Amino acid sequence: MSEAPPVTEASAAATTTMLRVDGAHVRYRVHTDRPPTLRERVTGARRAKPTYVEAVRGVTLDVASGDILGIIGGNGAGKSTLMRAMAGLLPPHRGRVVARSRPVLLGVGAALKPQLSGRRNIMLGLLALGMTRAEAEQLAPDVRDFAELDAALDRPLKTYSTGMKARLHFAIATTVAPEILLVDEALSVGDQSFKEKSAARLQELKERAGAVVLVSHSLDEGAETCNRVCWMRDGEIVMDGGPDEVVAAYRKTVPSKKRKKRAR
Amino acid sequence: MAGVAPTDATASDAVGSQPLREVGGRPSVPAYVVEIWRRRHFAAAMPMEEMRAQHMTSVLGNLWHILNPLLLTGVYYLVFGVVLGTDRGVDNFMAFLAIGVFVYHYTQKSVMSGARSVVGNQGLIRSLQFPRAILPLAAVLAQLIAFVPPMLVIFAIALVTGESLAWSWLLLAPLVLAQGVLNLGGSLLFARLTHKVPDMENILPFLFRLAFYGSGVLYSVDRFIASGLGQAVFDLNPLYGYISMARWAIMGDAVSSTALVATAAWTVLALVVGFLYFIAGEQEYANE
Repeated sequence: MSEAPPVTEASAAATTTMLRVDGAHVRYRVHTDRPPTLRERVTGARRAKPTYVEAVRGVTLDVASGDILGIIGGNGAGKSTLMRAMAGLLPPHRGRVVARSRPVLLGVGAALKPQLSGRRNIMLGLLALGMTRAEAEQLAPDVRDFAELDAALDRPLKTYSTGMKARLHFAIATTVAPEILLVDEALSVGDQSFKEKSAARLQELKERAGAVVLVSHSLDEGAETCNRVCWMRDGEIVMDGGPDEVVAAYRKTVPSKKRKKRAR
Repeated sequence: MAGVAPTDATASDAVGSQPLREVGGRPSVPAYVVEIWRRRHFAAAMPMEEMRAQHMTSVLGNLWHILNPLLLTGVYYLVFGVVLGTDRGVDNFMAFLAIGVFVYHYTQKSVMSGARSVVGNQGLIRSLQFPRAILPLAAVLAQLIAFVPPMLVIFAIALVTGESLAWSWLLLAPLVLAQGVLNLGGSLLFARLTHKVPDMENILPFLFRLAFYGSGVLYSVDRFIASGLGQAVFDLNPLYGYISMARWAIMGDAVSSTALVATAAWTVLALVVGFLYFIAGEQEYANE
Protein backbone atom coordinates (compact mmCIF):
# COMPACT_ATOMS: atom_id res chain seq x y z
CA MET A 1 0.00 0.00 0.00
CA SER A 2 2.96 2.28 0.16
CA GLU A 3 3.34 1.88 -3.54
CA ALA A 4 1.55 4.98 -4.56
CA PRO A 5 0.77 4.47 -8.20
CA PRO A 6 1.82 7.38 -10.37
CA VAL A 7 -0.94 9.83 -11.11
CA THR A 8 -2.25 8.72 -14.45
CA GLU A 9 -3.37 11.28 -16.94
CA ALA A 10 -6.96 10.22 -16.65
CA SER A 11 -7.14 10.47 -12.88
CA ALA A 12 -5.25 13.74 -12.90
CA ALA A 13 -8.01 15.29 -14.95
CA ALA A 14 -9.92 17.95 -13.08
CA THR A 15 -12.77 17.03 -10.71
CA THR A 16 -12.26 13.31 -10.80
CA THR A 17 -13.41 11.76 -7.55
CA MET A 18 -10.39 10.39 -5.76
CA LEU A 19 -12.01 9.44 -2.50
CA ARG A 20 -15.65 9.15 -1.59
CA VAL A 21 -17.15 8.65 1.82
CA ASP A 22 -20.67 7.38 1.40
CA GLY A 23 -23.02 7.70 4.38
CA ALA A 24 -20.37 6.34 6.69
CA HIS A 25 -21.09 5.48 10.31
CA VAL A 26 -17.98 4.54 12.24
CA ARG A 27 -18.05 3.21 15.75
CA TYR A 28 -15.67 1.72 18.21
CA ARG A 29 -16.03 -0.53 21.17
CA VAL A 30 -15.70 0.85 24.67
CA HIS A 31 -15.92 -0.62 28.12
CA THR A 32 -18.03 1.80 30.09
CA ASP A 33 -17.76 2.10 33.81
CA ARG A 34 -21.21 3.29 34.78
CA PRO A 35 -22.79 2.29 38.09
CA PRO A 36 -24.60 -1.04 37.75
CA THR A 37 -28.38 -1.12 37.69
CA LEU A 38 -30.21 -3.17 40.30
CA ARG A 39 -30.92 -5.90 37.79
CA GLU A 40 -27.29 -6.08 36.82
CA ARG A 41 -26.34 -6.22 40.49
CA VAL A 42 -28.56 -9.24 40.95
CA THR A 43 -27.72 -11.10 37.77
CA GLY A 44 -24.08 -10.05 37.70
CA ALA A 45 -24.42 -9.80 33.93
CA ARG A 46 -22.91 -6.39 33.84
CA ARG A 47 -19.83 -6.22 31.73
CA ALA A 48 -20.97 -8.89 29.33
CA LYS A 49 -22.10 -6.53 26.59
CA PRO A 50 -19.58 -4.17 25.08
CA THR A 51 -21.02 -0.80 24.22
CA TYR A 52 -20.25 1.07 21.05
CA VAL A 53 -19.59 4.74 20.60
CA GLU A 54 -20.54 6.08 17.22
CA ALA A 55 -17.89 8.68 16.49
CA VAL A 56 -18.85 9.33 12.88
CA ARG A 57 -22.56 9.45 12.10
CA GLY A 58 -23.47 9.44 8.48
CA VAL A 59 -20.75 11.40 6.77
CA THR A 60 -20.89 11.81 3.00
CA LEU A 61 -17.96 13.44 1.34
CA ASP A 62 -16.39 13.60 -2.10
CA VAL A 63 -12.73 14.46 -2.46
CA ALA A 64 -11.76 15.41 -5.99
CA SER A 65 -8.32 15.26 -7.52
CA GLY A 66 -6.36 18.36 -6.66
CA ASP A 67 -8.37 18.95 -3.49
CA ILE A 68 -6.66 19.88 -0.27
CA LEU A 69 -9.47 19.34 2.16
CA GLY A 70 -9.18 20.52 5.73
CA ILE A 71 -11.34 19.06 8.48
CA ILE A 72 -11.94 21.27 11.49
CA GLY A 73 -13.99 20.88 14.64
CA GLY A 74 -13.70 20.64 18.41
CA ASN A 75 -12.24 17.77 20.39
CA GLY A 76 -14.29 14.60 20.04
CA ALA A 77 -16.02 15.76 16.88
CA GLY A 78 -14.96 12.56 15.09
CA LYS A 79 -12.21 14.03 12.90
CA SER A 80 -9.56 11.44 13.72
CA THR A 81 -12.03 8.58 13.51
CA LEU A 82 -13.11 9.75 10.06
CA MET A 83 -9.47 9.81 8.99
CA ARG A 84 -8.99 6.26 10.22
CA ALA A 85 -12.02 5.16 8.28
CA MET A 86 -10.67 6.85 5.14
CA ALA A 87 -7.38 5.01 5.60
CA GLY A 88 -9.17 1.68 5.89
CA LEU A 89 -7.93 1.18 9.43
CA LEU A 90 -11.38 1.30 10.97
CA PRO A 91 -13.94 0.41 8.31
CA PRO A 92 -17.41 1.93 8.72
CA HIS A 93 -20.06 -0.43 10.07
CA ARG A 94 -22.59 1.32 7.87
CA GLY A 95 -21.94 3.09 4.60
CA ARG A 96 -18.59 2.81 2.91
CA VAL A 97 -15.42 4.46 1.73
CA VAL A 98 -14.26 4.09 -1.85
CA ALA A 99 -11.05 5.40 -3.35
CA ARG A 100 -9.06 5.30 -6.54
CA SER A 101 -5.94 4.15 -4.71
CA ARG A 102 -5.33 3.31 -1.08
CA PRO A 103 -5.34 6.48 1.03
CA VAL A 104 -2.36 6.57 3.37
CA LEU A 105 -2.49 8.12 6.80
CA LEU A 106 0.85 9.70 7.58
CA GLY A 107 2.34 8.23 10.74
CA VAL A 108 4.57 5.45 11.93
CA GLY A 109 5.15 6.01 15.65
CA ALA A 110 3.52 2.83 16.90
CA ALA A 111 5.83 0.56 14.90
CA LEU A 112 8.94 1.83 16.62
CA LYS A 113 10.52 0.17 19.62
CA PRO A 114 11.80 2.34 22.49
CA GLN A 115 14.59 -0.06 23.47
CA LEU A 116 16.18 -0.04 20.03
CA SER A 117 18.51 2.51 18.49
CA GLY A 118 17.35 5.21 16.12
CA ARG A 119 19.19 3.46 13.29
CA ARG A 120 17.32 0.19 13.80
CA ASN A 121 14.03 2.00 14.28
CA ILE A 122 14.44 3.72 10.94
CA MET A 123 14.70 0.33 9.22
CA LEU A 124 11.81 -1.07 11.21
CA GLY A 125 9.65 1.96 10.47
CA LEU A 126 10.36 1.85 6.74
CA LEU A 127 9.55 -1.86 6.59
CA ALA A 128 6.35 -1.19 8.52
CA LEU A 129 5.35 1.26 5.81
CA GLY A 130 5.47 -1.62 3.37
CA MET A 131 8.91 -1.33 1.82
CA THR A 132 11.15 -4.25 1.00
CA ARG A 133 14.44 -4.50 2.84
CA ALA A 134 16.35 -3.29 -0.22
CA GLU A 135 14.11 -0.25 -0.62
CA ALA A 136 14.39 0.54 3.07
CA GLU A 137 18.18 0.27 3.02
CA GLN A 138 18.30 2.62 0.07
CA LEU A 139 16.12 5.24 1.77
CA ALA A 140 17.55 4.96 5.29
CA PRO A 141 20.46 7.43 4.77
CA ASP A 142 18.03 10.15 3.62
CA VAL A 143 15.87 9.57 6.67
CA ARG A 144 18.91 9.74 8.94
CA ASP A 145 19.99 13.03 7.39
CA PHE A 146 16.54 14.53 7.55
CA ALA A 147 15.95 13.57 11.20
CA GLU A 148 19.23 15.24 12.24
CA LEU A 149 19.92 12.75 15.01
CA ASP A 150 23.69 12.83 14.58
CA ALA A 151 25.36 11.26 17.61
CA ALA A 152 22.04 10.00 19.03
CA LEU A 153 21.51 7.70 16.07
CA ASP A 154 22.87 4.65 17.89
CA ARG A 155 21.27 5.41 21.23
CA PRO A 156 18.00 3.74 22.26
CA LEU A 157 14.90 5.62 21.18
CA LYS A 158 13.71 5.93 24.79
CA THR A 159 16.63 8.23 25.57
CA TYR A 160 15.52 10.71 22.92
CA SER A 161 14.00 14.06 23.73
CA THR A 162 10.43 14.71 22.61
CA GLY A 163 11.69 16.84 19.76
CA MET A 164 14.15 14.20 18.56
CA LYS A 165 11.48 11.52 18.63
CA ALA A 166 9.08 13.71 16.71
CA ARG A 167 11.74 14.47 14.10
CA LEU A 168 12.47 10.78 13.65
CA HIS A 169 8.77 9.91 13.29
CA PHE A 170 8.24 12.68 10.79
CA ALA A 171 11.30 11.74 8.74
CA ILE A 172 10.24 8.09 8.49
CA ALA A 173 6.54 8.73 7.86
CA THR A 174 7.13 11.20 5.05
CA THR A 175 9.24 8.84 2.95
CA VAL A 176 6.07 7.51 1.33
CA ALA A 177 4.39 9.65 -1.31
CA PRO A 178 0.84 8.35 -1.59
CA GLU A 179 -1.59 9.48 -4.25
CA ILE A 180 -4.20 10.13 -1.59
CA LEU A 181 -2.56 11.61 1.46
CA LEU A 182 -4.18 11.82 4.90
CA VAL A 183 -2.54 13.95 7.57
CA ASP A 184 -3.82 14.04 11.14
CA GLU A 185 -2.96 17.08 13.26
CA ALA A 186 -0.09 19.41 12.69
CA LEU A 187 2.89 17.23 11.96
CA SER A 188 5.34 20.09 11.81
CA VAL A 189 7.49 19.61 14.85
CA GLY A 190 10.69 20.50 16.61
CA ASP A 191 12.48 23.80 16.82
CA GLN A 192 11.96 26.65 14.40
CA SER A 193 14.43 25.50 11.77
CA PHE A 194 13.06 21.95 11.71
CA LYS A 195 9.52 23.29 11.58
CA GLU A 196 10.32 25.12 8.39
CA LYS A 197 12.02 22.08 6.94
CA SER A 198 9.14 19.78 7.81
CA ALA A 199 6.56 22.23 6.50
CA ALA A 200 8.45 22.30 3.20
CA ARG A 201 8.55 18.51 3.08
CA LEU A 202 4.84 18.29 3.78
CA GLN A 203 4.16 20.86 1.08
CA GLU A 204 6.17 18.76 -1.35
CA LEU A 205 4.13 15.67 -0.46
CA LYS A 206 0.90 17.59 -0.88
CA GLU A 207 1.96 18.77 -4.30
CA ARG A 208 2.83 15.27 -5.39
CA ALA A 209 -0.40 13.80 -4.06
CA GLY A 210 -3.53 13.68 -6.16
CA ALA A 211 -5.62 14.67 -3.16
CA VAL A 212 -4.96 15.62 0.46
CA VAL A 213 -7.17 15.45 3.52
CA LEU A 214 -5.83 17.00 6.69
CA VAL A 215 -7.12 17.44 10.18
CA SER A 216 -5.91 20.79 11.34
CA HIS A 217 -6.00 22.17 14.84
CA SER A 218 -4.54 25.50 13.95
CA LEU A 219 -7.28 27.34 12.09
CA ASP A 220 -5.04 29.87 10.46
CA GLU A 221 -2.77 27.25 9.03
CA GLY A 222 -5.76 25.25 7.84
CA ALA A 223 -7.28 28.17 5.99
CA GLU A 224 -3.99 28.95 4.37
CA THR A 225 -3.25 25.63 2.69
CA CYS A 226 -6.72 24.22 1.98
CA ASN A 227 -8.96 24.96 -0.95
CA ARG A 228 -11.92 23.50 0.90
CA VAL A 229 -12.85 22.99 4.54
CA CYS A 230 -15.33 20.71 6.32
CA TRP A 231 -16.51 21.49 9.79
CA MET A 232 -17.40 18.49 11.93
CA ARG A 233 -19.48 18.43 15.08
CA ASP A 234 -20.76 15.37 16.97
CA GLY A 235 -19.75 13.03 14.18
CA GLU A 236 -21.48 14.94 11.42
CA ILE A 237 -20.41 17.47 8.86
CA VAL A 238 -22.22 20.71 9.62
CA MET A 239 -20.61 22.83 6.93
CA ASP A 240 -18.62 22.20 3.79
CA GLY A 241 -17.23 24.95 1.60
CA GLY A 242 -14.51 27.50 0.97
CA PRO A 243 -11.97 27.85 3.78
CA ASP A 244 -12.74 31.47 4.62
CA GLU A 245 -16.47 31.11 5.10
CA VAL A 246 -16.29 27.80 6.99
CA VAL A 247 -13.53 28.94 9.30
CA ALA A 248 -15.36 32.20 9.95
CA ALA A 249 -18.58 30.33 10.80
CA TYR A 250 -16.70 27.93 13.04
CA ARG A 251 -14.93 30.74 14.85
CA LYS A 252 -18.25 32.27 15.85
CA THR A 253 -19.11 29.13 17.83
CA VAL A 254 -15.76 28.93 19.61
CA PRO A 255 -15.87 30.83 22.92
CA SER A 256 -13.75 33.96 22.83
CA LYS A 257 -11.48 32.68 25.59
CA LYS A 258 -10.49 29.74 23.46
CA ARG A 259 -10.10 31.92 20.45
CA LYS A 260 -7.57 34.06 22.24
CA LYS A 261 -5.63 30.97 23.13
CA ARG A 262 -5.57 29.79 19.55
CA ALA A 263 -4.63 33.18 18.23
CA ARG A 264 -1.66 33.28 20.55
CA MET B 1 -3.35 -3.74 0.06
CA ALA B 2 -5.65 -6.64 0.53
CA GLY B 3 -8.14 -4.26 2.09
CA VAL B 4 -8.79 -2.68 -1.26
CA ALA B 5 -11.48 -4.85 -2.70
CA PRO B 6 -13.25 -4.14 -5.95
CA THR B 7 -16.70 -2.75 -5.45
CA ASP B 8 -19.78 -3.87 -7.27
CA ALA B 9 -21.98 -1.48 -9.18
CA THR B 10 -20.17 1.81 -8.65
CA ALA B 11 -17.17 0.64 -10.61
CA SER B 12 -18.98 2.14 -13.58
CA ASP B 13 -18.48 5.70 -12.34
CA ALA B 14 -14.74 5.29 -12.64
CA VAL B 15 -13.30 7.87 -14.96
CA GLY B 16 -9.62 7.08 -14.69
CA SER B 17 -7.77 3.89 -15.31
CA GLN B 18 -8.13 2.95 -11.66
CA PRO B 19 -11.70 2.35 -10.63
CA LEU B 20 -13.09 3.40 -7.27
CA ARG B 21 -12.55 0.54 -4.89
CA GLU B 22 -13.79 -0.01 -1.41
CA VAL B 23 -11.24 0.89 1.24
CA GLY B 24 -10.92 -1.58 4.09
CA GLY B 25 -13.27 -4.05 2.45
CA ARG B 26 -13.14 -7.72 3.22
CA PRO B 27 -10.20 -9.24 1.33
CA SER B 28 -10.31 -12.52 -0.54
CA VAL B 29 -8.13 -15.27 0.89
CA PRO B 30 -5.64 -15.36 -2.02
CA ALA B 31 -5.33 -11.55 -2.07
CA TYR B 32 -4.71 -11.62 1.67
CA VAL B 33 -1.97 -14.24 1.38
CA VAL B 34 -0.31 -12.28 -1.43
CA GLU B 35 -0.34 -9.17 0.73
CA ILE B 36 1.28 -11.03 3.63
CA TRP B 37 3.96 -12.18 1.22
CA ARG B 38 4.49 -8.60 0.02
CA ARG B 39 4.97 -7.62 3.66
CA ARG B 40 7.34 -10.48 4.46
CA HIS B 41 10.25 -8.19 5.25
CA PHE B 42 8.23 -6.46 7.92
CA ALA B 43 6.91 -9.79 9.21
CA ALA B 44 10.49 -11.01 9.58
CA ALA B 45 11.90 -7.78 11.01
CA MET B 46 9.28 -7.51 13.77
CA PRO B 47 10.22 -10.69 15.67
CA MET B 48 13.95 -10.09 15.18
CA GLU B 49 13.77 -6.56 16.52
CA GLU B 50 11.37 -7.58 19.27
CA MET B 51 13.86 -10.14 20.49
CA ARG B 52 16.65 -7.62 20.27
CA ALA B 53 14.55 -5.22 22.33
CA GLN B 54 13.83 -7.92 24.92
CA HIS B 55 17.49 -8.77 25.05
CA MET B 56 18.25 -5.20 26.09
CA THR B 57 15.88 -5.23 29.04
CA SER B 58 17.25 -7.99 31.28
CA VAL B 59 20.74 -8.84 32.43
CA LEU B 60 20.80 -12.33 30.95
CA GLY B 61 18.69 -11.28 27.96
CA ASN B 62 17.82 -14.00 25.48
CA LEU B 63 19.70 -16.53 27.59
CA TRP B 64 16.38 -16.89 29.41
CA HIS B 65 14.97 -18.74 26.41
CA ILE B 66 17.32 -21.56 27.45
CA LEU B 67 17.48 -21.01 31.20
CA ASN B 68 13.74 -21.02 31.73
CA PRO B 69 12.99 -24.53 30.36
CA LEU B 70 16.30 -25.78 31.75
CA LEU B 71 15.42 -24.72 35.29
CA LEU B 72 11.93 -26.15 34.87
CA THR B 73 13.41 -29.44 33.73
CA GLY B 74 15.55 -29.41 36.87
CA VAL B 75 12.55 -28.77 39.11
CA TYR B 76 10.45 -31.49 37.47
CA TYR B 77 13.34 -33.94 37.63
CA LEU B 78 13.63 -33.33 41.34
CA VAL B 79 9.90 -33.55 42.08
CA PHE B 80 8.79 -36.27 39.70
CA GLY B 81 11.94 -38.26 39.07
CA VAL B 82 13.57 -38.22 42.49
CA VAL B 83 10.69 -37.66 44.95
CA LEU B 84 7.62 -39.18 43.30
CA GLY B 85 9.39 -41.70 41.11
CA THR B 86 7.40 -41.28 37.90
CA ASP B 87 10.55 -42.22 36.03
CA ARG B 88 9.39 -45.82 36.03
CA GLY B 89 9.79 -47.40 32.63
CA VAL B 90 12.00 -44.67 31.22
CA ASP B 91 15.64 -45.46 30.60
CA ASN B 92 16.89 -41.92 30.34
CA PHE B 93 14.47 -39.84 32.39
CA MET B 94 16.51 -36.65 32.23
CA ALA B 95 16.55 -36.53 28.42
CA PHE B 96 12.93 -37.77 28.29
CA LEU B 97 11.85 -34.96 30.61
CA ALA B 98 13.93 -32.25 28.93
CA ILE B 99 12.49 -33.01 25.48
CA GLY B 100 8.96 -33.00 26.92
CA VAL B 101 9.37 -29.72 28.77
CA PHE B 102 11.15 -27.90 25.93
CA VAL B 103 8.78 -29.03 23.19
CA TYR B 104 5.70 -28.30 25.31
CA HIS B 105 7.01 -24.84 26.20
CA TYR B 106 7.65 -24.01 22.59
CA THR B 107 3.95 -24.31 21.78
CA GLN B 108 2.77 -22.71 25.00
CA LYS B 109 4.93 -19.62 24.58
CA SER B 110 4.08 -19.31 20.89
CA VAL B 111 0.32 -19.48 21.35
CA MET B 112 0.30 -17.29 24.45
CA SER B 113 2.26 -14.51 22.78
CA GLY B 114 0.30 -14.97 19.55
CA ALA B 115 -2.95 -14.61 21.50
CA ARG B 116 -1.73 -11.30 22.90
CA SER B 117 -0.43 -10.01 19.57
CA VAL B 118 -3.60 -8.22 18.49
CA VAL B 119 -4.69 -6.72 21.82
CA GLY B 120 -1.10 -5.84 22.61
CA ASN B 121 -0.42 -4.00 19.35
CA GLN B 122 -3.40 -1.68 19.19
CA GLY B 123 -1.16 1.31 18.47
CA LEU B 124 0.22 -0.38 15.38
CA ILE B 125 -3.21 -1.50 14.22
CA ARG B 126 -4.66 1.96 14.59
CA SER B 127 -1.92 3.75 12.70
CA LEU B 128 -0.79 1.44 9.91
CA GLN B 129 -2.57 -0.62 7.32
CA PHE B 130 -1.23 -4.14 6.89
CA PRO B 131 -2.70 -7.66 7.00
CA ARG B 132 -3.33 -8.14 10.71
CA ALA B 133 -2.37 -11.83 10.52
CA ILE B 134 1.22 -10.59 10.39
CA LEU B 135 1.00 -9.91 14.15
CA PRO B 136 0.36 -13.51 15.28
CA LEU B 137 2.71 -14.67 12.53
CA ALA B 138 5.51 -12.47 13.87
CA ALA B 139 4.86 -13.70 17.41
CA VAL B 140 5.14 -17.32 16.29
CA LEU B 141 8.27 -16.59 14.23
CA ALA B 142 9.90 -14.98 17.26
CA GLN B 143 9.33 -18.15 19.28
CA LEU B 144 10.60 -20.29 16.41
CA ILE B 145 13.85 -18.32 16.34
CA ALA B 146 14.01 -18.45 20.13
CA PHE B 147 13.68 -22.23 19.97
CA VAL B 148 16.96 -22.76 18.12
CA PRO B 149 19.23 -22.54 21.19
CA PRO B 150 16.94 -24.79 23.31
CA MET B 151 17.13 -27.35 20.50
CA LEU B 152 20.90 -27.39 20.86
CA VAL B 153 20.47 -27.76 24.61
CA ILE B 154 18.28 -30.82 24.01
CA PHE B 155 21.09 -32.34 21.93
CA ALA B 156 23.61 -31.54 24.66
CA ILE B 157 21.46 -33.11 27.39
CA ALA B 158 20.87 -36.20 25.27
CA LEU B 159 24.60 -36.60 24.64
CA VAL B 160 25.58 -36.04 28.25
CA THR B 161 23.00 -38.53 29.53
CA GLY B 162 24.29 -41.26 27.24
CA GLU B 163 22.23 -41.13 24.03
CA SER B 164 24.34 -41.72 20.96
CA LEU B 165 24.43 -39.32 18.08
CA ALA B 166 22.25 -40.39 15.14
CA TRP B 167 21.08 -39.03 11.80
CA SER B 168 17.53 -39.10 13.10
CA TRP B 169 18.41 -36.16 15.37
CA LEU B 170 18.27 -33.94 12.30
CA LEU B 171 14.56 -34.72 12.04
CA LEU B 172 14.02 -32.45 15.02
CA ALA B 173 14.31 -29.45 12.67
CA PRO B 174 11.36 -30.34 10.37
CA LEU B 175 9.40 -31.42 13.43
CA VAL B 176 9.91 -28.01 15.01
CA LEU B 177 8.80 -26.32 11.77
CA ALA B 178 5.67 -28.46 11.57
CA GLN B 179 4.95 -27.69 15.20
CA GLY B 180 5.36 -24.01 14.29
CA VAL B 181 2.47 -24.40 11.85
CA LEU B 182 0.32 -25.78 14.66
CA ASN B 183 1.43 -22.86 16.84
CA LEU B 184 0.49 -20.41 14.11
CA GLY B 185 -2.98 -21.91 13.77
CA GLY B 186 -3.49 -21.73 17.53
CA SER B 187 -2.15 -18.17 17.66
CA LEU B 188 -4.49 -16.97 14.90
CA LEU B 189 -7.45 -18.58 16.62
CA PHE B 190 -6.69 -17.24 20.09
CA ALA B 191 -5.61 -13.81 18.81
CA ARG B 192 -9.14 -13.14 17.58
CA LEU B 193 -10.76 -14.82 20.58
CA THR B 194 -8.66 -12.70 22.95
CA HIS B 195 -9.62 -9.56 21.05
CA LYS B 196 -13.29 -10.53 21.24
CA VAL B 197 -13.25 -11.64 24.86
CA PRO B 198 -10.30 -10.20 26.78
CA ASP B 199 -10.89 -12.74 29.56
CA MET B 200 -9.45 -15.35 27.23
CA GLU B 201 -6.04 -14.27 28.40
CA ASN B 202 -6.88 -15.57 31.86
CA ILE B 203 -8.42 -18.80 30.59
CA LEU B 204 -5.59 -19.77 28.26
CA PRO B 205 -3.04 -20.66 30.99
CA PHE B 206 -5.49 -23.20 32.41
CA LEU B 207 -6.08 -24.77 29.03
CA PHE B 208 -2.33 -25.12 28.70
CA ARG B 209 -2.00 -26.56 32.19
CA LEU B 210 -4.53 -29.20 31.19
CA ALA B 211 -2.66 -29.87 27.94
CA PHE B 212 0.54 -30.15 29.95
CA TYR B 213 -0.75 -33.01 32.05
CA GLY B 214 -2.38 -34.56 29.03
CA SER B 215 0.70 -34.67 26.86
CA GLY B 216 2.96 -37.00 28.82
CA VAL B 217 5.64 -34.46 29.59
CA LEU B 218 6.36 -35.93 33.01
CA TYR B 219 5.79 -39.65 32.61
CA SER B 220 5.70 -42.45 30.12
CA VAL B 221 2.09 -42.77 28.98
CA ASP B 222 2.47 -46.49 28.19
CA ARG B 223 3.38 -47.12 31.78
CA PHE B 224 0.76 -45.10 33.55
CA ILE B 225 -2.26 -45.33 31.31
CA ALA B 226 -3.60 -48.84 31.22
CA SER B 227 -6.92 -48.44 29.39
CA GLY B 228 -7.13 -48.21 25.64
CA LEU B 229 -9.44 -45.21 26.00
CA GLY B 230 -6.84 -43.36 28.05
CA GLN B 231 -4.19 -44.03 25.45
CA ALA B 232 -6.54 -42.80 22.72
CA VAL B 233 -7.00 -39.48 24.52
CA PHE B 234 -3.26 -38.96 24.53
CA ASP B 235 -2.94 -40.05 20.93
CA LEU B 236 -5.41 -37.38 19.90
CA ASN B 237 -3.44 -34.60 21.60
CA PRO B 238 -1.14 -32.99 19.02
CA LEU B 239 1.23 -31.81 21.75
CA TYR B 240 1.67 -35.40 22.88
CA GLY B 241 2.29 -36.22 19.23
CA TYR B 242 5.06 -33.67 18.80
CA ILE B 243 6.68 -34.60 22.10
CA SER B 244 6.58 -38.31 21.19
CA MET B 245 8.01 -37.66 17.76
CA ALA B 246 10.87 -35.61 19.22
CA ARG B 247 11.59 -38.41 21.68
CA TRP B 248 11.47 -40.87 18.82
CA ALA B 249 13.95 -38.79 16.79
CA ILE B 250 16.42 -38.46 19.63
CA MET B 251 15.89 -41.42 21.93
CA GLY B 252 14.32 -43.94 19.56
CA ASP B 253 11.06 -44.23 21.53
CA ALA B 254 8.09 -45.67 19.68
CA VAL B 255 5.32 -43.45 18.27
CA SER B 256 1.85 -44.83 17.58
CA SER B 257 0.55 -44.34 14.06
CA THR B 258 -2.69 -42.95 15.51
CA ALA B 259 -0.73 -40.16 17.19
CA LEU B 260 1.14 -39.49 13.97
CA VAL B 261 -2.00 -39.14 11.86
CA ALA B 262 -3.86 -37.18 14.55
CA THR B 263 -0.99 -34.72 14.92
CA ALA B 264 -0.75 -34.12 11.18
CA ALA B 265 -4.52 -33.64 10.97
CA TRP B 266 -4.59 -31.21 13.91
CA THR B 267 -1.75 -29.20 12.43
CA VAL B 268 -3.46 -28.69 9.07
CA LEU B 269 -6.86 -28.14 10.69
CA ALA B 270 -5.48 -25.58 13.16
CA LEU B 271 -3.87 -23.56 10.38
CA VAL B 272 -6.93 -23.57 8.10
CA VAL B 273 -9.50 -22.91 10.81
CA GLY B 274 -7.28 -20.42 12.62
CA PHE B 275 -6.52 -18.47 9.45
CA LEU B 276 -10.10 -18.33 8.18
CA TYR B 277 -11.42 -17.41 11.61
CA PHE B 278 -8.81 -14.71 12.05
CA ILE B 279 -9.31 -12.96 8.72
CA ALA B 280 -13.08 -13.03 9.12
CA GLY B 281 -12.48 -10.52 11.92
CA GLU B 282 -9.94 -8.44 9.96
CA GLN B 283 -12.04 -5.27 10.04
CA GLU B 284 -12.84 -5.29 13.74
CA TYR B 285 -9.30 -5.26 15.12
CA ALA B 286 -8.99 -1.47 15.17
CA ASN B 287 -12.33 -0.73 16.77
CA GLU B 288 -11.25 -0.42 20.39
